[in-house]
Amino acid sequence: MAKHRGKGIAAIEYPTGMNQNGDPSQCWIKVKPDGRIDVFAGTADIGNGSKTIQAQIVAETIGVPYDWITYDNSNTDSSPVCTGTFASRATFVAGKAAEKAALQVKAKILEIAGKELEIDPADLEIIDGEVVAKGAPQTRMSISDVAAAATWGHGELITGTGAQLKPYAAIVDPETGRVDSPPHSAISYAACAAEVEVDDETGEVRVLRLQQCYDVGRAINPTQVEGQIEGGAMMGLGLGVLENCYPYYPSVEHRGGAFGSYLAPGMEEMPQIDTILIENPSQDGPYGAKGIGEMANNPQPPAIAAAVYDAIGVWITELPITPERVLRALEEKAAGKHEPRREGKKVVFDEELSVNTVSSGGIRFEVPA
Amino acid sequence: MNIVVNGTAHAIESGPLTPLLDVLREELEITGPKAGCHQGGCGACTVLVDGEPRRSCLLPVAYADGAEITTVEGLGTPESLAPIQQAFVHHYAAQCGFCTSGMLLAAQAYLDGGGTDDPEAIQEALGGHVCRCTGYAKIVDAVAAAARGESFDLTQTAVGKYTTVTTGGAT
Ligand code: FES
Ligand code: FES
Repeated sequence: MAKHRGKGIAAIEYPTGMNQNGDPSQCWIKVKPDGRIDVFAGTADIGNGSKTIQAQIVAETIGVPYDWITYDNSNTDSSPVCTGTFASRATFVAGKAAEKAALQVKAKILEIAGKELEIDPADLEIIDGEVVAKGAPQTRMSISDVAAAATWGHGELITGTGAQLKPYAAIVDPETGRVDSPPHSAISYAACAAEVEVDDETGEVRVLRLQQCYDVGRAINPTQVEGQIEGGAMMGLGLGVLENCYPYYPSVEHRGGAFGSYLAPGMEEMPQIDTILIENPSQDGPYGAKGIGEMANNPQPPAIAAAVYDAIGVWITELPITPERVLRALEEKAAGKHEPRREGKKVVFDEELSVNTVSSGGIRFEVPA
Repeated sequence: MNIVVNGTAHAIESGPLTPLLDVLREELEITGPKAGCHQGGCGACTVLVDGEPRRSCLLPVAYADGAEITTVEGLGTPESLAPIQQAFVHHYAAQCGFCTSGMLLAAQAYLDGGGTDDPEAIQEALGGHVCRCTGYAKIVDAVAAAARGESFDLTQTAVGKYTTVTTGGAT
C-alpha cells in the first residue's frame, strides 16, 4: 500500500464563436461634448471581463486613456444586439464590433480636427487623447476641444457603429468536394500537463500541479486571461476527480439533491498552477485575440486520467476519477481483468489543412477525399 | 430585537428564527451578503457578527440580537475602499463577484486576527468558501498582499505569474 506519483499530458483545440445561423454583435459609440466616450453594447459581463476588454479595445483604437471610456451594457432595449456571452465569443466577436466602431469614431475625430487645424486628416494622428500633426507635434488639439467644436461649432455628433458577424459554417459542395468558405473564424490550442498522487489504499487522487499552455491569440489583458485559465484549471480539476457532468442537461433529474452532495473544488484542492500564454494571433479577432472561455476547463480531465495511468498503470475511462473507480480498476488489474484503453479513433494530421483552418482569411482549400 | 448593521441601529420585525441573511437582504435590503446555497456550504452569505465571520444563512436573527454586524457595505466605500478590497481589485481576485463579499469579510477577520501572508494559513481561514470562477489563486495572492500591508495602485492590475510566448504572424 503506497502513494504513487504520475504525470500526464493532454492537448486540445477549440473553435471560437458559433458557426451556424449567424452570430452577430453590434456596438455603438458616441463622444460627449467634453471628449469623454460612451460605448453602448449588449454583451453581458458574467465575470469574464468583457466590459474591461471592450473598453480597453476602444481606448486603444481611438488613442485615449482607458478611464475616458464609459461602457454601458445595462439596458437590453437600448443596447445594440449581442447574441450573448457564450461559445467563447465575447472578446473575439463583440470585441471586434467595438474595434470597428472605434475606428469610425477615430476617423470622425480626425476629420473634425482637420477642419479646425486646416490640415489634411491623413496627416493627423491621435496620441493619448490629443490630435497631433504628424511630424509637427507642436500643432495639436485635445479631443475635448475637437468634441466641443463638433458639438457647438459644426453641429455634428462624433459617433461610430460597428458590427461583427461570423461567416456561415463551411458547406462542402457534394459535386466537387470543395469548401468555399472557411469552417471556423479562429481556433485556439491548449495543452495541460498534470502531476498527481494516487493512494492505492484509499483510491484518492490528489492533483499536485497543473501546468497549462493556452494559445490566446493576443492577451489583451494578460492578468484577466490568466485568471480565466486558473479558474478553468480548478473547474477542470473538479471535472477530473470530483464532479459529475450530468449527461442529460438540462433535465434536472440527475442533479445532486443538496449543495453538499455536489463536490466543487475548494481552496484545499488547489494545486500549483502554472500558466503559459501563447500569442499566436488570429486574423479576425480584435488585435489578434482568440476566445478561450470554454476551453479553459477541457484539457485537465484527460491530462489527469493520463497521469493516473502513469502512476498506477490503469486507465480510468469514466469521469470523475473517484476513489471507488480507482480501487475497482486496481482490483480488476490484480485479477487480470482490467480493460486497456480503447484504441479507437485514428487521427490524421495535415499541417496545411490545419493551418488554413485556423482563420477565415478567405483561404480556399480542398477537403481531402 | 435590535441589530446594528454597519453602524446603523435597526429594530427587527422578522420572527426570531428568521435567518440573519434573510433579515439583511429582505427586511433591511442590504444585499451585499449573497445566498449561494442557503445551507451553510458556500460562504457567500458570510458577515461579521461582533467581528467574527458567521454564515448568516444559518444564524437565526435572535442569536444576533444586540450584535454589531458588518457586511461588505460597511467595509469600505467605492471612493475609499478598505485595504483588503483594494488588494482584491489590484490582484484581479473577483470575476463574477458572487463569492466576493463573503471572501472579503472572512479575509478581513483573518487580517484583524493578525493573519500573515502564509498561503496555507490563508487557505485554512478561507477554506470553506467556494469560488467557481477564480481558481482561488488570485484570492490567496490578494489576501497575502494585504497581510503584508502593501499599498495598491488601482489604476493598474497586478501582473500575474504567467509567461508569454509570442509567435510571428497571423494564422
Ligand atoms: S448561503 Fe450561507 S453558506 Fe451558502
Ligand atoms: S468570483 Fe465568481 S464565484 Fe468567486
